[in-house]
Amino acid sequence: MKIEGTHVFNGPRKAVWDMFYDPNVLASALPGAQKMEMVNENEYKFDMNVRVGPVSGAFSGEMQLENVVEPESLTLKGGGKGAPGFLNGIGNVKFKEQEDNTTLMEYEGEVNIGGALASVGQRMIDSVAKSMIRTGFETLDKALAARLAAKETGSEVVDFKAPTEAQFAKEVAKDMVKMDNMSAETKLVFYIVPVVAVIILLAVVLKSCGA
Amino acid sequence: MAEKQKFVGQSIKRNEDPRLLTGNSTFIDDINLPGMLHIAIKRSDFAHAKINKIDVEKAKALPGVVAVYTADDLGDYWKPGPLQVPPPSVIKGAIFFARPLECIAKNKIRFSGEPVAVVVAESRYIAEDALDLIELDVELLPYVGDLEKTLAPDAPLVHEDLESNLAADVIQEAGSWEKAVAEADVVVKKRLLVNRVAGGALENRGIVVNWDQNLNLLTVWATTQGPIPMRNSIAKYLGLLENQVRLINPAIGGGFGPKIMSSQIDDVVIPWIAMQLKRPLKWVEDRRENFLGTTSERDQLHYAEMALKKDGTILGVKDVFYHNTGAYNPYGMTVPLNTQTHTVSNYRVPNFFTEIKMVFTNQMVVTPVRGAGRPQGVFVMERLIDAAAKELGMDPAELRRKNLLQPEDFPLRTGIIGQDFVEGILDSGNYPYALEKTLEGIEYEKFKQEIQPKARAEGKYKGIGITMFTEGTAVGPYEGCKVMVGVTGKVSVITAYSNQGQAHYTTFAQVAADQLGVKVTDVDVVTGDSGQWSWGVGAFASRGITLVGTAVHNASLKVREKALNLASKLLETPVDELELEDGVVRVADMPEKFITLGELAMRSNPTRGTVEPGMEPGLEAASYYGPPHGATGFGSLAMIVDVDPETGMIKIERLVITDDCGQPVNPMVVDGQIHGGLQMGIGEAFYENLVYDDYGQLVTASFMDYLFPQASDMPDKFEIYHSHTKSPLNPLGIKGVGEAGAIAPPACMMQAFEDAMGLDDMFITESSINPSKLYNYIQKAKGA
Repeated sequence: MKIEGTHVFNGPRKAVWDMFYDPNVLASALPGAQKMEMVNENEYKFDMNVRVGPVSGAFSGEMQLENVVEPESLTLKGGGKGAPGFLNGIGNVKFKEQEDNTTLMEYEGEVNIGGALASVGQRMIDSVAKSMIRTGFETLDKALAARLAAKETGSEVVDFKAPTEAQFAKEVAKDMVKMDNMSAETKLVFYIVPVVAVIILLAVVLKSCGA
Repeated sequence: MAEKQKFVGQSIKRNEDPRLLTGNSTFIDDINLPGMLHIAIKRSDFAHAKINKIDVEKAKALPGVVAVYTADDLGDYWKPGPLQVPPPSVIKGAIFFARPLECIAKNKIRFSGEPVAVVVAESRYIAEDALDLIELDVELLPYVGDLEKTLAPDAPLVHEDLESNLAADVIQEAGSWEKAVAEADVVVKKRLLVNRVAGGALENRGIVVNWDQNLNLLTVWATTQGPIPMRNSIAKYLGLLENQVRLINPAIGGGFGPKIMSSQIDDVVIPWIAMQLKRPLKWVEDRRENFLGTTSERDQLHYAEMALKKDGTILGVKDVFYHNTGAYNPYGMTVPLNTQTHTVSNYRVPNFFTEIKMVFTNQMVVTPVRGAGRPQGVFVMERLIDAAAKELGMDPAELRRKNLLQPEDFPLRTGIIGQDFVEGILDSGNYPYALEKTLEGIEYEKFKQEIQPKARAEGKYKGIGITMFTEGTAVGPYEGCKVMVGVTGKVSVITAYSNQGQAHYTTFAQVAADQLGVKVTDVDVVTGDSGQWSWGVGAFASRGITLVGTAVHNASLKVREKALNLASKLLETPVDELELEDGVVRVADMPEKFITLGELAMRSNPTRGTVEPGMEPGLEAASYYGPPHGATGFGSLAMIVDVDPETGMIKIERLVITDDCGQPVNPMVVDGQIHGGLQMGIGEAFYENLVYDDYGQLVTASFMDYLFPQASDMPDKFEIYHSHTKSPLNPLGIKGVGEAGAIAPPACMMQAFEDAMGLDDMFITESSINPSKLYNYIQKAKGA
C-alpha cells in the first residue's frame, strides 16, 4: 500500500536535520519508546510499548537506514513484532529547503500491519496513530522554534518543555472525537501515515543514539 | 392408520424455553471436569508465509504450562483432513483440485488465523499468556486475495503443487445460451459482487474432551452441527471404534453454518492431546479467534448476462462467476453449486449457462453460512431483472410477473445438478401467488402512485423493492431417529441431528405426539448424542424438520402399531376397534376398557416366559428417511426504505414477505426462523462485512468493526404471509425454512435504494452498501 505525506517545519533545513539528531527532542515526540541500540552501522534495534485501544503490549523491532544523504534524504526499512502483532515498512524521507526559509519534509512509503493491531485495533489505530503523528509534529515544531530562539539569543539553554504523557493522552482523546466525522478514505490515510512517521522518527532517534 | 394431525400445524410454545430462559441449560463452557486442562491456540498473524521455525521453549517454561505442540510434535498423526464433502465428480467435465484442511500448519501458512501451535495449561489465563511467548520465524510470501488476480499467470500460489490457484471449474448448461442470444432483442450485462459475511453465532465454537483409558471411551462435547461425521472423523484419526467415541452436543447458542466443519484443529488435535496427557481438556474460542479461526462465506464475483425479447420475455441467462474458497476447499462445491441451482429457479429461463471458477486465496476457508450460495444466485438474477426492467422501460414487478414459473410447471427438472449431486427438481410451488400476495400486502401500486411522489415532493428519498426467491431445502442423503414409549407413558425421541436453537425439542415432539396420543410436553427429545443414537449426517441445508421430522413420523407410526397390537392382545379386542388417545389405548365404544401406554411399555419387555419368533421388545422403533431430491421452498420479499438525505442512514419502513415452506409444523417457529433470516440478510446488505486488507489481514475481527444489525435497525414489524404448497416428497408435506429470510434482502434492498434515488444511471452492483455510499448517491439525486 503506497502512502505519502508532507509537513512544513518553520526553519532552515540544516536546523531541522540537526534537530532530528537531538535524541532528547525526538524521544519526547515519541511516547512508548523503551530502549534503542545500534547493532551495526545504520542498523538498529528498538523496544517500545504499544497501546492502541484494546490492544497493548511490548513490541520489538529492527530498522535499517539506507541512502543517507545529509541533510537531504534517507530511506528506512524496518519492522517489528510482539504480542500485539507485527509491522513491516519501507519509507523515503526528503527534506527540501523552501524560499521562505522553511523546510518541507516529504515522506512516502509502504507499510504492512498484521495481527491484533490490524484485526482488533483497526478502528482505534486510526485515531491513536493520527494523534501520535500530529502531536509528534507539534512537539517538533515547538522544539524547533525553541532551538532557533536559543540560537538567536546565543543562549545555551533551550526553552523547550516536552509534553507529558497526560497531555499526550488528552490530545489523543480529543482527536478520537474528531475522527468520527471522517470518511473511511481519510481514516485510511491517517492510519498508514502515522505509522511510517513513527518509524521515521524512531530511526532518526536511533541513529543519533547510536552516534 | 395414521392419526389425524392435532399438533402439527399448531403454534405451540417451545418445550425448551423454560430451561433456556431460566439459565438452566448446559452450554459447552459450562462443562467442567475434575483435573481439566485448558487449551489456547496460537494462530498465525501472517497471511502467507513459509515456516522456518516455531520456538516454543519460552512458552513451555512458563509456570502452569503443561505442554505445547506444533505440527512437528504430532509426527505421523499429522495429515491433511479428509474432504468433508466429496468432489462433484457426478458433474460431467467438472474439474476439482482437492486441498483439504490442514489441522495445524506444518511447513506453510496459508491464511492469517491458521493454527500453528497449541498450548495446554492449568488455566486459560496461563495458556493465553504462553501464546505471546511463542516465536514464529517465517519467510513472508506474497499474499493473494483478489478473486480475479488470483488466476493471473504470475500470481503467488496458495498450493505450490498446483499449476494455478484454480480450485475447481464447473460448467453447467440447460438449453443453449448461444441460441438465446441469437433470438434476443436485448442482452443486459453486469459485473456483480457479493460481499463476505460471518456466521456470527452468539456462542463461539468449543470442545471438551475426556479420555477414559479404563473404559476405552473418549467422550467429546462439541458445538458441532454434524455430531456423527465429527465422531467418525475422530474415530478414524485415533484408530477407535465409533462406539468408543461418544460425541455429545451440549446446548448450542447458534450455528448458522460454520459449526458444520469437522477435521479441524479442535476435533483432530485436541482429542489426540487428551489421550497423550490422559487429562480432560477444554477449548472455547473467543470472539476474535472466531473471526480469525472459524469459516465464513459469500465473496463471489459474477459476470452475468440476460437475453430478452422486447416484450420482456426472458430467453436466457449466462453467469460466469469466481467463487472464493479461501486457502483450502474441504467443503467441496456445496456453496457455488447452490448458487448455480438458485440463480434462475423462480423463472422460466429456457437457456441457462453457468460456470463456477472456484479459486484459492490466502483467506479463511469458505463454507456455508445461512443462505449458503442461494443469496448469491438470487442476487444475480434479481439484479439482472432490475437492469433489464430499466433497459426495457418496464416495471420491475411486471417483468417478474411475466416470467415467473407457473403452478402447472411443477415438478420441474432444471437440468442443473445441485449440492446433493442430483439434478435439481423443483417439487412444487405457486410463485405467482407469493408475488401477488406480497405486492398487495405492501400496497405496491399505492406506493408508486401516491406515497412515493408525495415523499419526493417533500424532499424525502423513499423507495420500494420487490424480489422473488427460492430456498432449496431438505436434501439427502438421510437422517434417522428412534422413538420409544417409556414405562411412565412418556415418549422419547432420540436423534443425532444437531440443535442450535431451531426448536427441535418442540417440533419433533409435535410430530410424535400426533401419532402416539400424548401431550407435546410429554415427549422428550434428545439431539446430538452419539451414545444414544449412532447415525445421521448433520444440520445443514434447512433439512432438520423435513428429514428428521419425517423419520420421527414414520418411527412413531411403527410404535403406534406396536402399541395397538400389544393392546389388542391384552384387551382381547381387534385393533380396528381400538383408539389411542390421552396416553391410553382404549376400546372405542367402551372407554372404561383401556390400558395406559406406560403399562403397555412395561408389558412389551416380558421378564419371564417365552416370546414369538421375530418379536422385538419395547414400544420402540427406529426409522430413516432420505428423499430422492430436495424440497424447494419459495417466497417473495418486498421492502419500503427511507434514506435519510442528511446522514445516508436508512429506515426500513415496511417489510412484507410471503413464504411457503409447505406444511409448517409450528407456524410460530417458522416465523421465528424468518425473522432471524431477514435480520441476517439485512445485516449482510447494510451492516456486516468481513474485510481483508491488501496484505490478507482481516481488519474486521471484532464487533467494534463487524457490525451486527440491532433490533432497533429492524422495521417495526415483519409482515409475514404464508402459503402452504405441500411437498409431494414426504408424508407431512414439509419443506425447510431455516434460510428463507436470509436469501433475498440484499437484492431487495439495492432495488429499493435505486428506486428511492430515482436516478436513471444508478445501478448498484454490490450486495452490500453503507451510509457513506448512499450519501454520495443522495448528492447526485439532489443535483438531478
